[in-house]
Amino acid sequence: MTEVKRTSLFQKLVPSVVSGIVLGVIGAIVAYVIVSHIVDPTVNPDAPIVALYTAWTLFFFVGIGAFNGVFKWGFAPHDPTADEELQLAGKDQGLWRYFRFTTDHKVVGMQYLATVLVTFFLGSMGAFMIRLQQSTPGAKFFTPSTYNTIVGMHGILMIVSSIIMISGPFGNFILPIMIGARDMAFPRLNALSYWLIFSIVPIFFSTLFLGGFPTGWTGYAPLSVQELTPGMDAYCFTIIIFAISTTIAALNIVTTVFVLRAPGMTWGRLPVFVWGVILSVFLGLTAFPSFLMSQVMVVLDRVFQTSFFIASFGGSNWLYEHLFWFMGHPEVYVIALPAMAAAAEIATVFSRKTIFGRRMLIGSLITICILSVLVWGHHLYTSGSATALDGPYMLDTELISIPTGFFFLALIGTFWRGKMWVTVPILFVAGTLVNFVIGGITGIYLADLPTDEILHGGMFVTAHFHFTLVGSMVFGFFAAFYYWFPKMTGKRLDPLLGKIHFWLFEIGFLGTFLALFYAGLQGEPRWSANIAPPFATANLIASLFAILIAASVFVTVYNVIITMVRGEPAVANEWGGKTLEWTVPTPVPLENFEHLPVVTSTPYDYGTPEPAPTDKDGDLIAPVLPQSES
Amino acid sequence: MSTSLEEMHELPLHIRVGRARAGVIMLILADLMSILALLAAGGYLSTLNVLNQYRLTSDHPPALLPGLLASIVLVLSGLSYYWWERRGGQSVVFILSLLLMIVALAFQIWLGVSLGYAAPFHAYESVIILLSWYSAFHLALASFIGLLLLGRILRGRLAGHPYIPEVVGYWWYYTIIAGLIMWAFSMFLI
Repeated sequence: MTEVKRTSLFQKLVPSVVSGIVLGVIGAIVAYVIVSHIVDPTVNPDAPIVALYTAWTLFFFVGIGAFNGVFKWGFAPHDPTADEELQLAGKDQGLWRYFRFTTDHKVVGMQYLATVLVTFFLGSMGAFMIRLQQSTPGAKFFTPSTYNTIVGMHGILMIVSSIIMISGPFGNFILPIMIGARDMAFPRLNALSYWLIFSIVPIFFSTLFLGGFPTGWTGYAPLSVQELTPGMDAYCFTIIIFAISTTIAALNIVTTVFVLRAPGMTWGRLPVFVWGVILSVFLGLTAFPSFLMSQVMVVLDRVFQTSFFIASFGGSNWLYEHLFWFMGHPEVYVIALPAMAAAAEIATVFSRKTIFGRRMLIGSLITICILSVLVWGHHLYTSGSATALDGPYMLDTELISIPTGFFFLALIGTFWRGKMWVTVPILFVAGTLVNFVIGGITGIYLADLPTDEILHGGMFVTAHFHFTLVGSMVFGFFAAFYYWFPKMTGKRLDPLLGKIHFWLFEIGFLGTFLALFYAGLQGEPRWSANIAPPFATANLIASLFAILIAASVFVTVYNVIITMVRGEPAVANEWGGKTLEWTVPTPVPLENFEHLPVVTSTPYDYGTPEPAPTDKDGDLIAPVLPQSES
Repeated sequence: MSTSLEEMHELPLHIRVGRARAGVIMLILADLMSILALLAAGGYLSTLNVLNQYRLTSDHPPALLPGLLASIVLVLSGLSYYWWERRGGQSVVFILSLLLMIVALAFQIWLGVSLGYAAPFHAYESVIILLSWYSAFHLALASFIGLLLLGRILRGRLAGHPYIPEVVGYWWYYTIIAGLIMWAFSMFLI
C-alpha cells in the first residue's frame, strides 16, 4: 500500500506554472527597469522589451522548475530515485499535474492538445475579423494598421498551431504507445518543449499592446527592421522560442523512435503514422534553425544597429527571404506529412483493409521530405534576385506532385472495396482528399514561373495555401482528433455534433476559398484592408460562407465541453484499431504497458481472415467464405 | 490502473547508450544547421556586396591574437578531453580540459569586445559580430556542460554510466570544430 504524503499549499505551488508566472513577471519587470535605466527607451525602445522577454522566459523556467533536473544531473549526490521520478511524472497529482513540469508523455500530449485547440480558436477569431473587414469595401471595421496586425497574428498563430497540431498532441501521447514504449526518450525535454510553447503565449499577445507588427506572418525584412513599434520584437521572440521548442521536440521524437521501439517493432512494421511524424520532425529539425537565425539577425538589426537586411549598409532583403523560405516551404511538409500519415492510418481502420501500397506510401513520404528541402527558391521568383536557378526550382517543385499523387493512390486504393464505416474521422479524411486535390492542382500554377508572375501576390495564393494547409492538413488534424480523442480522454465525442462540424466546415470552407480563387483570378491583391469594388461580390460570398466555418468552430467547442462534462465513457478499443495504442486500457496507465509487447507483424492485417471457428475435435464449424477485398 | 515506474527507469544499458548518442547527434545536427545558415548568410552578403557597402575599406577583420590563442587553447582542450575519455586518464586531465575550454571562452570574449567597430554596423561588421558572439555562446555552453560533468565526477556518479564521457565528448569535439570553422571563416574567408 502506498503511503500518502500530505503536501502544503506552498509545496503544491512551487514549482508549478503559478510560481513560474510569478517569478517570470518579477524577473521581466526588474530586467525592464534596469535596461530602461541603461538604455534610453526613447532612443532604443526595443532594448527594454527584448530584455523583458528574455528575463520572462528565463525566470519562468526557473520558477516552473525546468532547471532543477539539469543541476541535479550534475551536482546531486545521487541519481533520481523511482519515487522522485514518479512525482515528476505526475503520479497521484490529479488535474494539477497538467500545471506542473510533468514528464509523463500523456500529460504533455494533453497539454499540447488543449493549447492547440485554444490557439486554433483564437486564430480562427482572427480569420473571422478578416472576413468581416473584407465583406464590404471601405475598411469600415478596422484601421489598415490594425487590420495588418490582425492578418499577421492570424497567420503566425495558425502556422505555429498547425506545425504542432499533430506532432504535439498525438506525437507525444499516441506515438510512444504505438511503438511499444513506456515514455519518450527524454521525458524532461518533452516537458520543456511544451512549456516553451506556453511561455511564448504572453510574449506573442503582448504585441497587441506594443503597436502590433505590420509584416504579416512572414515578418519580411527590411520592413521588420525599419518598423518603429516594439510589437515586432514579440514576433521575433515568438519565432526564436518556438524554433527552440520544435528542435527539442524533434530530437526527442526521433530518438524515441530510434531506440525505444518494442521488441519486434522493426522499421518495416512501424505504423505509417509514426513514419509521418518522424519524417516531419526530422524535416523541422533541419529547416527551422535557419528561421531561428533569421530572427536573431532581425533582433540584432533592431536593437544593436547591425545591418543584415539594410541595403544602404550592405545588407539585403533577399538574405531574409532565403533564410525564411528555407524553412518556409519545408514547413508546409512539416505540417503535411503527419496529417497525411494520420489520414492513411485512419483510412485503413475505417475501411477494414490493409493500407494499399504501404511501402509505396512510406517511400512517397520520404521522397516528399527530401524534395521539399530544395524548393524554397520558387518563393523568390518575383523578388528580382538572380534567375539562374528558377528552372531547377520549378522542376523540383513540380516533382513533389508525383509522390503526393502516390498518397492519393494509396488512400483511394485503401478505400476501394473496403467495408466502409462512415463516421466522423473518415469524413474528415474524405474532406482532406477533396480539398488536397484542389490545393495541390492550384499549386502547380504557382510553381510554374510564367503563371506565378501573374498570380503572385494575389488572392489566388491565399486561397491555394488555405486549401493546402487548412483544407488538407487541418482536416487531417480533425480526423486524428476525432479518432484518438476517446483514447486520450476516456470520453466519446458526440458523433452527431461531429458530423455537423464536418459538413459546416467543409461547405463553409469550399464556399469561402473557391470564391477567393475567383477574386484572385479577377486580380485582387492580398494585404488590402480596403477591397476594391470589382472584387466586392466574391468577397461578400466568401464572408457569408465563413459564417458556416464560424458555426462549425462553435459546434466543436460545444462538443468538446459537453463531452468532457458528461460524455459517455469510451472503451479501450473504440474503433477496432490494430495498432498498439488500442491494446492498452483507457485511460492509459502511467507507464502504458504492464509488460512490453512483442510485435510479430504489421498492424494492418484487416484483410486476413480470422481463424475459422472449430469444435473441440478441431473440425470446422462453418465454412469460411473467401474475402474478395483481401 | 497504475503500475510501478521502476522498470521504465531501468532501461538496459545499450538502450541508454543509444538514447544518449542519438540525442546528442540530433542536437549537433540542428546546431550545425544554424551555423551553416550563419556562414551562408555571410557568404551571400559578401557575394552580393549590395551598393558596394558590404565591406568598407576601413573595416578590419578581428584581431589575430585573441582568436589564435582561443583556437590553440580549444585544440588543446579537445586533445586533453580525448586523452581523458579514450585513454582512461585521471580526473585531473578532464579538469585541465575544462579549464582550457573556459580560457578559450575568455579569449573569445576578448575577441568580441576588442572588435572596435562603431554603430551603426555595416554588413561585414554585423556578420563578424554575430560569428564572434555565437562562438562565445557555444564555448559558454560547453563550459557549463563541463561543469555539470565535473560535478558528476567529483560525486563519483559516472559509475554505471560509462557512455556519458563519450556523448559529452561528441558535443565537446563539435564545439571545438565549430569554433575553429567560425574563426577561420571570419578571419580569412569573408
